Amino acid sequence: MFERTKNLRLSVIKQMELRAAKFPSVISLAQGVPSFDTPECIKRRVELALKQGVVAKYSLSPGIAELRELIEIKLAEQNMFYDFEKEILVTAGSIEGITATLLAITESGDEVIIPEPTYTSYREVIILAGCTPVYVALSEEKGWAFELEKYEAAITPKTKAIFYCNPNNPTGTIYSKEQLLGLAALAEKHNLYLLSDEVYKDFIFEPGKTIFSLAELPALRRRVIRLFSFSKSYAMTGWRVGYLHADESIAREILKVHDSLVTCAPVISQYAAMGALEMGEKDVQFFNGEYKKRRDLICQRLDKLAHIFSYIRPESAYYVFPRIIKKDIAFGSYDCPRSFSWHFALYLLEKAQVAVVPGVAFGPSGEDHIRISFGRSEKDINEVFNRLDNLFL
Amino acid sequence: MKLILKPLLKYYLKYITKLVLFIHRPRIIVVAGSTNKTFVRDEIKKVLLAKGCTVRANPKNFNTEIGLPLAILNIGSGYNSYRGWLPIIADAAAAIFAKNFPAVLVLELGVARRGDMRYLLSIVKPEICVITDITQRYIESFSGLDQMVKEYAYLVKNMSTSGQVILNYDNLKIRALAKRTKAKVIYFGQTVSSEAGFKIEKITRTEQGESVEVRHKNLHKELAIPRFGTHHAYAAAVGVIVQKNI
Repeated sequence: MFERTKNLRLSVIKQMELRAAKFPSVISLAQGVPSFDTPECIKRRVELALKQGVVAKYSLSPGIAELRELIEIKLAEQNMFYDFEKEILVTAGSIEGITATLLAITESGDEVIIPEPTYTSYREVIILAGCTPVYVALSEEKGWAFELEKYEAAITPKTKAIFYCNPNNPTGTIYSKEQLLGLAALAEKHNLYLLSDEVYKDFIFEPGKTIFSLAELPALRRRVIRLFSFSKSYAMTGWRVGYLHADESIAREILKVHDSLVTCAPVISQYAAMGALEMGEKDVQFFNGEYKKRRDLICQRLDKLAHIFSYIRPESAYYVFPRIIKKDIAFGSYDCPRSFSWHFALYLLEKAQVAVVPGVAFGPSGEDHIRISFGRSEKDINEVFNRLDNLFL
Repeated sequence: MKLILKPLLKYYLKYITKLVLFIHRPRIIVVAGSTNKTFVRDEIKKVLLAKGCTVRANPKNFNTEIGLPLAILNIGSGYNSYRGWLPIIADAAAAIFAKNFPAVLVLELGVARRGDMRYLLSIVKPEICVITDITQRYIESFSGLDQMVKEYAYLVKNMSTSGQVILNYDNLKIRALAKRTKAKVIYFGQTVSSEAGFKIEKITRTEQGESVEVRHKNLHKELAIPRFGTHHAYAAAVGVIVQKNI
């Protein structure tokens, strides 16, 4: 019974949210939810679609053609050239795209390499596809960078893909072009797919910094599947809409799974996505500016707690992933896995009514860390750190 | 509030735009159709720039009753913000006195409802029009495909006898529009003969994009397009026509 699901676990992030819900004054910086509402221009686009009566029926399985054409145009601005008719699929959020991709490109028993710490749900989707996640640690000393020799060592005849998040959740790291090209060379050598989840690509905090994608290289078209979601960039987590693109030979296989899973992405959300691409650029710039302010604020507040945490300044996304350097803490007795980061997270919940995510949720190298989201407002961030100051200073 | 302000804004932009066009008298090329407008527009712009023309094209999807004037005046949009429109209104008036107006405008025309084409053509008088494709897309606001085709028929019918109408021969609805115009008709497509139009041949995918050949009478072009998808071959064919005829 439940052979397929017995090794799956409810995301630790959601577990923390459930635990946090029992504390009346809790402030949660656990879940990666933007504090902003979906921009007005997007809502207006949806209102128009509702009025026109175009949202009640299925769309084509790969998505509304007009939206896919807009996506092709947007991608071309970013030096990525894909055919909207055959190579771009609109998905029900990026996680559905990830699921469809893994089900299409892997066979039961395959291994998928994931650099860690990284997004918690990758593990579950890989297991759901009947595959084995193989964690390869990022180097914290090198600013959470890849160490290519570790990937080479992790590759076996069963390895089918390397699956990374760039910019990375939870570390906020932007991988350099050189590192990604190194990964691509390994993929070429061992005939692997590369899954690039780029849902945070619109948030860049350092002037002049850019995000390179392997999907920009025509020579890698038959290897790279790139995924994007509207959730973060346009504050649309609840709309569940994203897209993926890959060479036609891969996309047509993914489409079969996508069709089986969801038929099509929610049509009303596809219209919202159109509004986002047509009119949402200024809002994205605004969000980026606000997250940068919040990143600076959270770093400032963490600096005051330098005897508790050390951290690497995030370059993107809206998370900071500090290492807990204070170890002599008298934790209570908690119903949780035997992990320091779990105990520390529950200690913060109990003593300060602050919810964060234990770092071990993001992979073995995440142990001794916590993930703090700065998707929430400056007011919430300040209140959280006031409570932490009271607890630790 | 919106019910009053939107028409006011629409007509304000329309008449400012007409005044600007009257002053500067640019050559106008319009691109219409259900799909592939943007890539065709960009291809035409690229060809004209390479010929040394000064060109302005719609940014993004500025191709509707409000968007088209903004594109011509080269100003931004206030989108859904009343406050955001205030500087745009001032910019529109200032555009009358703007210098360095381009010699050619390459404009997408967006048709989503009955009457849209009539309104857009009350602003611009094109010298050349291209119809890229007509599909079921946007059909929701029409009683059927034939009613939607009437919008495009209105466009070709209103072209002057000295104008040029560039039609996708592969689409039967578009091909039939040739009967509705007094302007010179130029066809492009995979099914047209190279004597009757610009024939798109040998679309082949390479590692770098699409490779395509375009033939017309004695003209033979081999093109390497750094994009993927057959729609880019059609855009490239329109580029060849524009290069030859303008």
